[in-house]
Amino acid sequence: MDFDTMSSDLHGLQTKALAEIAAAADPDALEALQIQYLGKKGDLTAVLRGIGALPAEDRPRVGAVANEVGESVRAALATRTADLRSIVQVRRLESERVDVTLPGRTIPRGTLHPIPETIAAIAEVFGQFGFVTYEGPEVEDDLTNFQMLNIAPDHPARDLWDTLYVDIPGHLLRTHTSPGQIRVMQSTRPPIRALLPGRCFRYEAVDASHGFEFFQVEGLMVDEGTSMADLKGLLDEFAHALFGPRKTRFRPGYYPFTEPSVAFDVECVVCGGVGCPACSKSGWMTILGAGMVHPVVLQYGGIDPERYQGFAFGMGVERISNLRHAVPDLRYYLENDLRFLEQFR
Amino acid sequence: MRVPLSWLREYVDISLTPEQLAERLTLLGMEVKGIERWGADWRKVVVGELLTVEKHPFADRLHLTTVNVGGPEILHIVCGAHNIAPGQRVPVALPGAVLPGDRRIERTEKMGIESEGMLCSGDELHITSDAEGILILPPETPLGIQLSDLYGDVILDVDVKPNRGDALCLLGLACEVASATGATVRPPEITVEEAGGPVGDRLTVDVREPELCTRFVGRWISGAKIGPSPDWVQMRLQAAGMRPVNNVVDASNYVMLELGKPTHTFDGASVRGGTIVVRLATAGERLQTLDHVDSEITDATTEIAIESAVFDPVSIRRTGHRYALRSEASLRFEKGQEFRLARMGADRVAQLTLAWAGGSVAKGRIDTAPNEPIEARLAFRPARVGKLLGEAIATAEQRDLLSRVGIATEDAPAGTRIQVALEPKPLVVDPGTEEVLVALVPTWRRDLAIEADVAEEVARVRGYETTPAHLPDTLMPAFRPSPTSVRDMLRQTLAGAGISEVVTHALVSPADEARLRWPADSSEPAIPPEVRAPDGGSITVTNPLSAQHSELRQHIGASLLDVLSLNERQGRGDVAIFEIGQCHALVDGKPAEWTRVAFLLSGAAEPAAWNRPIRQYDLDDAKGILELVCGRLRLPAPMFAPDTRGFPFHPGRALLAGTAEAGEFVGGRVAELHPDVLEAWDLRSQRVILAEVAVPGLNQPRPKSLHVEPIGRFPEVERDLAVIVNDGLLAADVESTIRRHAGELLRGLRLFDLYRGAPLAADEKSLAYRLVLGAGDRTLTEAEIDAAIVQVRTGLAEELDAHIRS
Repeated sequence: MDFDTMSSDLHGLQTKALAEIAAAADPDALEALQIQYLGKKGDLTAVLRGIGALPAEDRPRVGAVANEVGESVRAALATRTADLRSIVQVRRLESERVDVTLPGRTIPRGTLHPIPETIAAIAEVFGQFGFVTYEGPEVEDDLTNFQMLNIAPDHPARDLWDTLYVDIPGHLLRTHTSPGQIRVMQSTRPPIRALLPGRCFRYEAVDASHGFEFFQVEGLMVDEGTSMADLKGLLDEFAHALFGPRKTRFRPGYYPFTEPSVAFDVECVVCGGVGCPACSKSGWMTILGAGMVHPVVLQYGGIDPERYQGFAFGMGVERISNLRHAVPDLRYYLENDLRFLEQFR
Repeated sequence: MRVPLSWLREYVDISLTPEQLAERLTLLGMEVKGIERWGADWRKVVVGELLTVEKHPFADRLHLTTVNVGGPEILHIVCGAHNIAPGQRVPVALPGAVLPGDRRIERTEKMGIESEGMLCSGDELHITSDAEGILILPPETPLGIQLSDLYGDVILDVDVKPNRGDALCLLGLACEVASATGATVRPPEITVEEAGGPVGDRLTVDVREPELCTRFVGRWISGAKIGPSPDWVQMRLQAAGMRPVNNVVDASNYVMLELGKPTHTFDGASVRGGTIVVRLATAGERLQTLDHVDSEITDATTEIAIESAVFDPVSIRRTGHRYALRSEASLRFEKGQEFRLARMGADRVAQLTLAWAGGSVAKGRIDTAPNEPIEARLAFRPARVGKLLGEAIATAEQRDLLSRVGIATEDAPAGTRIQVALEPKPLVVDPGTEEVLVALVPTWRRDLAIEADVAEEVARVRGYETTPAHLPDTLMPAFRPSPTSVRDMLRQTLAGAGISEVVTHALVSPADEARLRWPADSSEPAIPPEVRAPDGGSITVTNPLSAQHSELRQHIGASLLDVLSLNERQGRGDVAIFEIGQCHALVDGKPAEWTRVAFLLSGAAEPAAWNRPIRQYDLDDAKGILELVCGRLRLPAPMFAPDTRGFPFHPGRALLAGTAEAGEFVGGRVAELHPDVLEAWDLRSQRVILAEVAVPGLNQPRPKSLHVEPIGRFPEVERDLAVIVNDGLLAADVESTIRRHAGELLRGLRLFDLYRGAPLAADEKSLAYRLVLGAGDRTLTEAEIDAAIVQVRTGLAEELDAHIRS
């Protein structure tokens, strides 16, 4: 045995091992090849056993060759192992392919009713200007619902509120949220900035734009020097917040509990002011009534009209919602057809 | 009020377009609700001249006419009217014409002879009430022109507010137009030619109730001839929405529309003894209303008594309401009538009757209160007006603005006091050193009585649109948490759990409440008294619109069933809904109001999908929702107790839920409904779960505040116990036994399995619990853990006869 023969054997072994490693199809085969070539009883060890028969000066040279061969086989094994692992992974991932275009697992989701949601939207705007929410009773007394609001029992303005009465003497179903003004004034002192949302009732036949139950939000602000200009400023902010940048206008209205009284219009949300059937071709839509709190009402609230003045406004929640969401019929709200409600998701 | 512009122009010049005028009136507070083109529904109706009128050869009641409509062709038209003669000018509907009511006129054959159009009556055109004869036009009317060019008009629908009775007439609105445009008002010239004898010879008036009839003016006309009013009068009345009747009644109606003064005309022959008595009806007396009364003007009437009175508005209003007899006249009386108008109205009716019906007017008038008041003096502070409006307005400008609506102003004499408020809370103040003016308010402006009214008038004439806008710069009020915050949080939570919010009627049907028979809280010890609904009678509406909505609800459940029913009828069976709403009862003679959370589950909780099978809602979903609600409010989990009463509940699937800890309570019912309830509501669904719960703090600002526990450094251990007990035993009892015996070390307890079947006996079940044990200050030793578990096992065995499967 001489160096050349042994070197040639080692290189032959290397060639064979590398070829077999490259051909190995799975990690088990690689494991076997590792044992076959590099194991204690492996082929490389077997070749090296013959090293003792070489002259002493050749032994280091053969050792170097053997190391080189061993390294290259080890490296090939490692590379191939990594490759195979990735092939296996790729194969597994491939086998797990799904149709990602299938729909998801539906998570049940309820919807919130547009009336409380609209009230919340209104409260959010005025809340930013310091208005806090109060609530009053739905069964009111005649005194608070009418008389303290400067509406005497036989006042012709009572025609504005067709009333549903209950079997409790002196009581009725509140026809508006305005009695809340009295309750707030009686329970707190200026500065007052109050919002009063709630359900109201009127003796009114039901059609697309009328109902005997409906919701209102009342607003009240009282302080020294609170003026109609403050009212206009706040209502403009409100209109812009809910209906976007569009023109607004004040025009005279009539309520017994405000003086001066105001009707507040915004540019028609359907036609933008050009004139269409929705705004009776006027280009304007009335969204609420307002005015400066009447001195009689302030006094019933225990507030001195010489020192304080204030404004009040009242709006129909359904009307605001109708305009924001293009709801064509008031009856939708209390009917609760899910085909309507689920559109508010 | 319907305002024909052609009529309005009689009193004031208008150069604005109808749209501009509508906007100006609206901005003055006389809101124009609509603009109607009168005659817009006449198409191809032209003026023609009758050339010949002959008998129809085959029908006695028809005529053959030839008509010249200004064109080359002569039209042959068959006509049934009898008032026609050659030479008359008449409205002709040409073939293809359209009349009011979308009536189309075509070439037709009438009794064998072709008719090339139709001659029109005033009624067919809706401009007079005459349906018998053809409308005969003035002889000078140009041939061939469209009738709409001749008689077309624009009608404004003006909403006059209740405080402005003075503007509820053409003359009043003319004044408003003038204030906006600066034009001059031309009031009608009221003069009466009195050719008859003294009125006192014919008529006496006896007012027995001078408080209710504060002024009565009477006039008398003899020898009038009743007949139709002139066409132009009929056209005006018709356009203003009043049906023409005859020349005398029309004169009265004309004056009501012109001056806003309701008057009445009676057949003088039927005024007994020539005396009109004004008195209250006696109890039980039966009276005829004016349209049926025997003093009505008839064709035979020649003597006419005219009544123009001022009545007490409150009395008129009450009577009108009580007998449901409200008219154009009572509408005007209710708003209060200017004193002067009684005289003016009587004179004007006499003047017009004389012109339209002839006869002679008796000399003078009967007048029970001839002294007419002068203008009122109303003191105001110009600076206050500006302060209210939010903009300083110079005194001179305020005076000028007021003068435009006929309100003169003058400097106030020293010592003038200011009327800030009137009855029922009058307030008069001393203005001190502030500048004060006195407004001289015309008698017809009864709405101007306090200082703030002057402010409104200044703002109105100046234009509300000039109001400046700025955000308040005064102090903000103190913080106040919103009373809706807890409700809003729950609403969000429930919607997130897949339940949709509904808002149902507060007014419900007593029949529905009776059909459901939801038990009263007061009958139920398991519901903590703190959250029980008050026990009271229902509050009933005394004038309901329908029996369906005649009572305030005490529970929400029946309304949710109605919603389910409606949606089922729309083909929607999977319904999960909730409502947070007010309930009402009569307690000790007073209204009581409280808030409840109610929810209803029916159909699929999870509809079938490609990746999961269908899952129906059941009682466990409802209990889970209740647990979620309690958790969200940071309340302890509710405890459940069976409710086996049966109807309206499934006797085996109903429970009372309650918690009681540190004074905070939840209480209510969760139940699958009895099949008889489902049948009563005619529901398709086989299983409906309904819950109605009292939740604390629903009207209070915030849920309970939260304190964080420090995270323990010492590990907790888990032990599982399968507890085998008799099948009839309640899980709640097993759980409470475990809790009682595990002691302080128990940190968590969860039922993770329920098993029945082999190898268990038929009357046994196994409940598998996971116990979490720990102590905050140390790691538990095996001995401690074992001791706790032994205690639990022993307790279960001794108290519940349970054995533990390992």
